[in-house]
Amino acid sequence: MSNTTTPRTYERFPLARRIEHLIMLLSFTTLGLTGLPQKFPDARLSIAFVNLLGGIESLRTIHHFAAMVMMLGTAWHIIVFGYLGYVRRTRLSMLPSLQDMKDGWRALLYNIGLANSPPQMGRYTFEEKLEYWAFVWGAIVMGATGFMMWNPITTAKFLPGEVIPAAKAAHGGEAVLAVLAIIIWHMYGVHIKRFNKSMWTGQMTEGEMLHEHPLELADIKAGMADQPLDPAALRKRQRVYFPIAIVLTLFMLGGVYGFVNAEDTALTTIERQVPTVEVFVPQTPTPAPTQTPTLPPTETPVPTQTAVDSTPSTPSSTLTWDGAISALLQPTCGACHGASALGGLNLSTYADVMRGGASGPVIIPGDSTNSLLVAKQLAGGHPGQLTPEEIAQIIEWIDAGALEK
Amino acid sequence: MSNWINAHRSQFGLAGLALGIFLLLVLMSLPATPVAAAPQAQGDKPTDETCLACHQQAGMTVQIGGQPLPLTIDAGVFSASVHGTEAIACVDCHTNITGFPHPAVTASSPRDFSLELYPVCQQCHTEQYEKVLDSVHQRALAAGNTNAAVCTDCHNPHTQARLTNKDTGKLLLGARLVIPQTCAKCHNAIYETYKGSVHGAALTQEGNQYVPTCIDCHGVHNIGDPTSNTFRNSTPYLCANCHTNETLMKQYGISTNVLSTYVSDFHGTTVKMFEENYPDQPTNKPVCTDCHGVHDILKVDHPDAGIAFKRNLLVKCQQCHPDATAETFTDSWMSHYEPSPDVFPLVYYVNLFYKFFIPAVLGGMILFVLTDVYRRFALRRAHAKGGTHK
Repeated sequence: MSNTTTPRTYERFPLARRIEHLIMLLSFTTLGLTGLPQKFPDARLSIAFVNLLGGIESLRTIHHFAAMVMMLGTAWHIIVFGYLGYVRRTRLSMLPSLQDMKDGWRALLYNIGLANSPPQMGRYTFEEKLEYWAFVWGAIVMGATGFMMWNPITTAKFLPGEVIPAAKAAHGGEAVLAVLAIIIWHMYGVHIKRFNKSMWTGQMTEGEMLHEHPLELADIKAGMADQPLDPAALRKRQRVYFPIAIVLTLFMLGGVYGFVNAEDTALTTIERQVPTVEVFVPQTPTPAPTQTPTLPPTETPVPTQTAVDSTPSTPSSTLTWDGAISALLQPTCGACHGASALGGLNLSTYADVMRGGASGPVIIPGDSTNSLLVAKQLAGGHPGQLTPEEIAQIIEWIDAGALEK
Repeated sequence: MSNWINAHRSQFGLAGLALGIFLLLVLMSLPATPVAAAPQAQGDKPTDETCLACHQQAGMTVQIGGQPLPLTIDAGVFSASVHGTEAIACVDCHTNITGFPHPAVTASSPRDFSLELYPVCQQCHTEQYEKVLDSVHQRALAAGNTNAAVCTDCHNPHTQARLTNKDTGKLLLGARLVIPQTCAKCHNAIYETYKGSVHGAALTQEGNQYVPTCIDCHGVHNIGDPTSNTFRNSTPYLCANCHTNETLMKQYGISTNVLSTYVSDFHGTTVKMFEENYPDQPTNKPVCTDCHGVHDILKVDHPDAGIAFKRNLLVKCQQCHPDATAETFTDSWMSHYEPSPDVFPLVYYVNLFYKFFIPAVLGGMILFVLTDVYRRFALRRAHAKGGTHK
């Protein structure tokens, strides 16, 4: 190649094919990036990526959108494929054949030094066919299982419910396979082995053609590649194909629409049913501390205190212990000088009163002046202080002999 | 000089006395700090004996705002209580009582009296008191709901037995049994529901102390809002605290893979990723309680409502998927099962297929790529050799 004239190039991919590739490239990458984090939710990377895309719900929306784009791309591919095959009568050079097996085997033998020349291949090498048909297989599996996950209720109407988790398992397994296959096979074959730019430029040089597609080059040189078409026959086939293509397109668009819209409930955010619970249902009217021991509590703690009869005692006309004095003393004095007998003094019964306390008798019948109880009360400031009227009654009672009855 | 001092000694004495009185007045005017160690019983403060002389009289009450406030203390019960055994004196809590007559009651009702008094608990129980400040109860109280529980509603200070080990702080055996009953004082409807649940029945009927009581889910003292998004989103981890514990679950023969199977399923994956990124935002994907219930959790094989039965599970599915009418739809969720040849065999075999298919395909590809790399290097070396010879 010493001459400076530009080497002859051959068109490998027309623009439409390159756009198709770009659509698949973008949708596949998006699907992989938004799908794998869902398969590996425990990974920190997944969580960070999901956060980057605005959360799991928005990640799923992006995933669904990319799936729709890929489905539309596939539909477009089918229409074009039909046109090329039926109308243009292009050779179906992507179809796999026994020769591809032989080529692959020979390439392997050549690589390890057991064959002295590589296989001579045509427009599509066995590597390219492998990738293409792997993509077809993947698209079918991912499409079918994706539908089941996207529309589980519809699916469960026709198939056992178990297919939905099975679809999820297959979708995830296939995704891992597809992404890794692209990284290994496609990256090596098209980017690392030799940076093949033909999917972007659409062109290949004669040297590249000779090296990678020698049989196709030979066909082109022999004038077999571009057989002129009979215009009349072409138009006839177009007239047949276009209506079919329109129907097929509508059918496939309907399919995509159905795929995306078959059901709603599993996707849209419906109001969550929150059970309402009566929170404050006290066992006792007020949550006042009860006097029952906390351990062990009773089944339904109830106030154990009964309010004492606090109605004021009516002064009796008969000034005796039983008649009025007992009732007069109890409310004021009983708290301390009751059963607890503070200072040894218990004012509960007539006998107790007359016995007195630690300081001796408190009542001296007939002598109120020397009765200790009267002296204490008259001094004032006693914790249980009687009113002057009450003291007067006591004095009257003592001076009258401090009778019991 | 010394003469001068001697001559004025009496004057210095007077000045010293004046200074002393001044300092005393300053000290008295300083605000009393509420957070302090338990006050020392001082000589002039009433002893428990003095208080009990009156307050162990049966039937003592005082009317506050027309409602009776019981005033009787059972000395025996008090001395057996944790405060009694720790020798906490009456006036340590009833700090305003210095003798008789007592200062006038300012509270307008017995409830108001409790609300006025409970902050003294923080003198000793600072940690718990501060936790409570973050709780729903305190928030409700601040919002004006005087029924909201304060310290003394759950822990009657005169009768409360020791609940935790003094050294380790762990709940004592037996303490767990009374927790639901304590909460039931105010939340009785929930308690009645809980008693019928698998957890509550085990606790109340069998005395099983390993089942969750109220505080295991709601916390204690710093009880959060159980209706919040944060609480709901963290539910799977809450339940997993016990349900992934091998030792605990072994006793009932329950699987411990409930969390892993949940997270690996669609709903769980969503909630997990959601919880990680937006813990306080609502999600409509189900958590444990949406299918299993909250206070009314039943055994899954409960004959009437156990969700191991498809007809019962479908009802749960329909909460979010009202259009799902086929019982087979329930199989789209694997009910915490790991797929096996017996359970969900289709899922098992799909997984098995990919377990071999992925390495086979990728392995083949890698092998071919490696031979291609080898050939390229071999060719280059051959070229290089040829070049030097020429």
